[in-house]
Formats: sequence, C-alpha cells, structure tokens
Amino acid sequence: MTTPILEIRNLHARIEDRDILKGVNLIIPPGEVHAVMGRNGSGKSTLSYVLAGKEDYEVTEGVVLLDGQNLLEMDPSERASAGLFLAFQYPIEIPGVATMTFLKAAMNAQRKARGEAEMTTPDFMRAVKTAGTELNVDTDMLKRPLNVGFSGGEKKRAEVLQMALLQPKMCILDETDSGLDIDALQVVSKGVNGLRAANRSMLVITHYQRLLNHIVPDVVHVFSDGKIVESGDKDLALQLEAKGYADFDGAAA
Amino acid sequence: MAQSLPIRLGAAEATLIAQLTSVGATAEAERLSIAGLPTRRVESYHYTDLKSLLKAVPPLGLAANAASAPALRVAGAYQLMIANGVIQSSTTAPAGVIVGKAEGGALSTRDDVLVHLNGALAKESLSLTLENSVDPVIQIDRRIEGEAAHVADSLKIFVADNASAVILETFSGSDAAHVGNHATYLAVGKNAVVTHITVDLSARAVSHFATNEYQLADGAKLRTVTIHAGAALSRSQVFARFAGPGAHGDFTGLNLVADGQHNDITIDIRHGVAHTTSQEMYKQIARGRSKAVFQGKIVVERDAQKVDAKMMMQGLMLSDEAEILSKPELEIYADDVVCGHGSTCGELDADSIFYLMSRGIPKAVAETMLVRGFIAEVLDPIEDAALNEALNGVVDGWLLEA
Repeated sequence: MTTPILEIRNLHARIEDRDILKGVNLIIPPGEVHAVMGRNGSGKSTLSYVLAGKEDYEVTEGVVLLDGQNLLEMDPSERASAGLFLAFQYPIEIPGVATMTFLKAAMNAQRKARGEAEMTTPDFMRAVKTAGTELNVDTDMLKRPLNVGFSGGEKKRAEVLQMALLQPKMCILDETDSGLDIDALQVVSKGVNGLRAANRSMLVITHYQRLLNHIVPDVVHVFSDGKIVESGDKDLALQLEAKGYADFDGAAA
Repeated sequence: MAQSLPIRLGAAEATLIAQLTSVGATAEAERLSIAGLPTRRVESYHYTDLKSLLKAVPPLGLAANAASAPALRVAGAYQLMIANGVIQSSTTAPAGVIVGKAEGGALSTRDDVLVHLNGALAKESLSLTLENSVDPVIQIDRRIEGEAAHVADSLKIFVADNASAVILETFSGSDAAHVGNHATYLAVGKNAVVTHITVDLSARAVSHFATNEYQLADGAKLRTVTIHAGAALSRSQVFARFAGPGAHGDFTGLNLVADGQHNDITIDIRHGVAHTTSQEMYKQIARGRSKAVFQGKIVVERDAQKVDAKMMMQGLMLSDEAEILSKPELEIYADDVVCGHGSTCGELDADSIFYLMSRGIPKAVAETMLVRGFIAEVLDPIEDAALNEALNGVVDGWLLEA
C-alpha cells in the first residue's frame, strides 16, 4: 500500500483548559480530496491550526504523519517546507511587507530547507505571472503590502496563488468559501481544481455544501464535538445540507 | 519658588564648567554652576536625566588627522568631513554648492543646555549654501577620532528658493567614551524641497547629542529622518519653525535601542504662521534592557490658523526588559486648526509570525521581515535607491547584532 499523504491517528488537542479535538482519525491517500463538514464550534478550524502548528494549541495525544514524516515534531515553517499548506480562513494582513517580497521569501525559504538552489528573479517572476494570470491576480496587487486592504475575494485568491507557487503535497483549505461571492468562488475553485494532482491531497473544511459543488470531494467526513462521526462519498454532503447536522451528531441544531 | 540651596555638582558638570571657563565662556560656566545639568524635574529632560546619565566628560577634543572611511557608504554621494570639530572638505563640490566656514555656532539661542554648550564650545561652523538643486546626495561625515574627547561641532545649511537636495549626516568615529555635541541649522528657502537625514552610528561607549534646527520659508517642503543606531546615551533634538505659509514638514525617525542603551528623540515643531502642515511619524524599537524615549511637541501659535498637524509614535518591544517612553504634547493657541497625536506600543504580532512561518519562512526571518515592515513607513519615502539601501543596511545591521 502506498504511504498516505496525511495520516492522523487519535489526535487530541486543547487550548488553555478546553479540550477541542477528542480523537481524530483520518487517512488521506495521494491524490484524494477529502471534505470535513461540521457545525460552528465543532473543532474543524482547530484541526487545521493544529496541523499547521499554531502555538496556542497543545496536542495531548495522537500521531500525525505527513507522507510518513512525524508532523508534530516540526515547527510551522518546517511543516510548510515538508509540503503542508494551510489556506487561512482569515489571511493575516501584514503592513510593510510587499506581497511580492513575501512570496519570494517563502519560495526560497522552502527551497533552502529542502536543499535546493534559490530561484533566480526572472524564474520567480515568470512563475508568479503564470500562476497569477489563472487567478486574476495582477502585478499591482502583488506590489501592495501582504493582504492589506485586499477584498475578501482578493485575499482568497492570494491564498490559492501561494498554494500554486509553493506546490505543497497536502493542502488544507479552511472555510475558503467564506466571504466569497459566486464569481469569486468560481475563480478560487477553478484555481484549486487546477492544483488537483495524483501526488497532491487536499482537505477542504467547510460548513456549506455549496463549495463542494465546485470542488468535488472524493470523501466527505462529518465532524462533531472534536472528532469524525461519519464518513461517506460526496452524497453525504447533500444529505447533510438537506437534513442538518442533528441527524449525525444527535445534538439539536 | 527658587531653589536657594546651592546644588551639588557632579564630575561631569565640574569638567564642563572648567572647559567653558577655559574657552572664555564665563556666562555659560556660571549658568551651569548654578543650574547644573538638567534632571528629570526639567520637563524637556524628564526621561533623560542628564545629571545622572552623563557621568563623565572627557577633555576637549584636539584636531584629529582622520582618514578612515565614512561610516556609511552611499554610492554617488558628495562627501564632506568634520573630524573632532575641524572641517575637512574632500571631493569637488557639485555645481551650485558653496562650502565655507563661519565663526561660532549655528543654533539660535534657546533655553537648552545642549544648545548652550554647543554655542559656547563650537569655534566655527561649516557652512553649506545650495544655490540650486543638487542631484547627488550630500553626505556630511561627522566623526570623533582618537582618545576619548568632548567635541562640539556645528553646521549651517542654506537651501535657496526652489532648490531641492538630499542631505545625509552620519555620526561615527573611534571606539572611546566620547561626548559629541553636534549642531545643524538648516534654512529651507521658498518652495525648496529638502530631505535631511541624520544617522548616529557612534561606538557603544559614546554619548551622542545632536540638535537640528530648521526654518521653513513659504511653500518649503522638508522631510527629516532621525536614526539612532549607536551610542550608549544619545539624544537628538529636532527644533523646527514654520515661517512661511504653504510650508509642509514630514518629521520622521527610527530610535533603535539595544541592551544597555538609552536613546532619546525630542522634537519641538512650531507652526508660527497660518496654512502650514506637518506630519510626525516616529518608530522606536527596543530590545534587551534598554530605554527608548520620544518626546513630541507641536506648538501652534495664535495667528497660525488652518494648521494641520498629525503626530504618531509607534513602539515595538522585543524584550520584556525594554522600556519605551513616549510623551506627545500639543500646545495650540489658534482656534481653527486640525491637530492630532497617537502613540502605540506592542510586541511583534504572534498571528503574523505564524502566518509567515506557515509559508515556510523560519521564525528569525519572519521576525526580521516584520520589523522591516514596521519601519518601512519611515524609510520607504527615501527615493534615492543607493541611500535607501544604505539606510536599510543600517537597520539590518542593527537587527543582526541581536
């Protein structure tokens, strides 16, 4: 059997004194797109932060392997260089750091961490231009400070642009549809679909089925009270949309 | 009520009094023996108590034959040097630049001990007259060389009407416990456009004091950048006076303070006439056990209607032991003006560091990017590419020392 891109076994995590993740088990084989759906507060976003290595969360139990490597031993930048990418629900605005400068720093940091040579400026510009064209990201936007004053749609397009440039093995999309209108949703989804590949897996976190019409998952998981309570094919998302979460987690909506 | 008891004079004060007497400045000597160096009870020195901070003053500097390289290299710049108070002009002046010497100091009289000392001790001033726009950056390299010395030097710059120029002053020299007292008077002519940058790169044993006085005529546009990146103790004073309508000033600075340092930027901006505007933007970064001080005063005089002045100080704390002190003051005597001030202080944002790291950028690099982002507002307006790069290099150098 091939090594899964992501393997989560019995993951428990807490923030301060509150247990949020209570035994997550999830295996994502290469090339598959999995969706995690769940109501607000079920711990979906916590899962994405814990995987990316945010300091505020403490992992109390469990194992996470990224392509066979122990993810939990790495700091966030090492996780990224190992091939993990989190598309943020709310990308952070960073005044004073030009988007272009940031992109180059990120690409070269990852190359350096993997022992590869730094990219030349012309190669970098070409890569940015190619990826930007598909996502309607023009160079003017890239000269602006990172995410500062970007509209909701621009922020999400910038996230997918970063994903396209960094070529991760494992993409986590945290509520990528939030703050997007229909047109922006289509552009972003098209960008994400363009990155589907045999050696790249994705975890799409959402609480609306809408996004999954655009990014069609191979497997859908229902998340409730810090763990996965049900898994199925894409039709599970439709059932959830029709019936609500109560049928799956037993709690009143 | 006047203090009737004689004050106790310290070693630094005794030396200063003897030095003032030796150059014949008896009135200054007497003033200092009565008042002493300012303590925190003097409002303008509230956070920089010179009486306790300035422990000793070395002998008055002798002429130095310094030929060392400038502390900061800016490609294409025209350079002048003042070493231990003695003016040494080097390369050929660009067209329209007249270099000369004038007797005595450069500053207007004001109730300030550093101004008094400079006026009494600086024997001559380097005078620089710009008759027209000057393309190359004009760099004045002010140095204190050799054994520990007390040096007062002085510079007068006149920029003609409609001219434009970028003037850089760098302060450096040998690694000894110097006390430098530097003065610059800059008159900006009608509709002239001037950028004036001062960078302290003194060795860590030095006490660095600089007073910059500005006079802005009608329609003049001035940008000042005060950078502290050296010296154990430093204080830069920025005294500006708006004397003609339509003048605008951007007063900016970076106070970079590391372990064991106490650096102070004190500004006093006077809008003396109507329809003048200014923006003050100062950033302070402190690490280790250190103290960064900013005092910002804006005065709008009675007839100066329609003045628009906004002042901002932002502090970034890189350690728990660092102190950042900020005192904004507005004194407004006119009734139709827009004036404001703000002051913020914080640490690097953890969410921002996480975001950068989540893209593969190591923590130390992420922090450096955020610090550079923090100061970008101050350095970005410097358009000359070589100069901008040199100033960013100063900041990078400071960050690397950590």
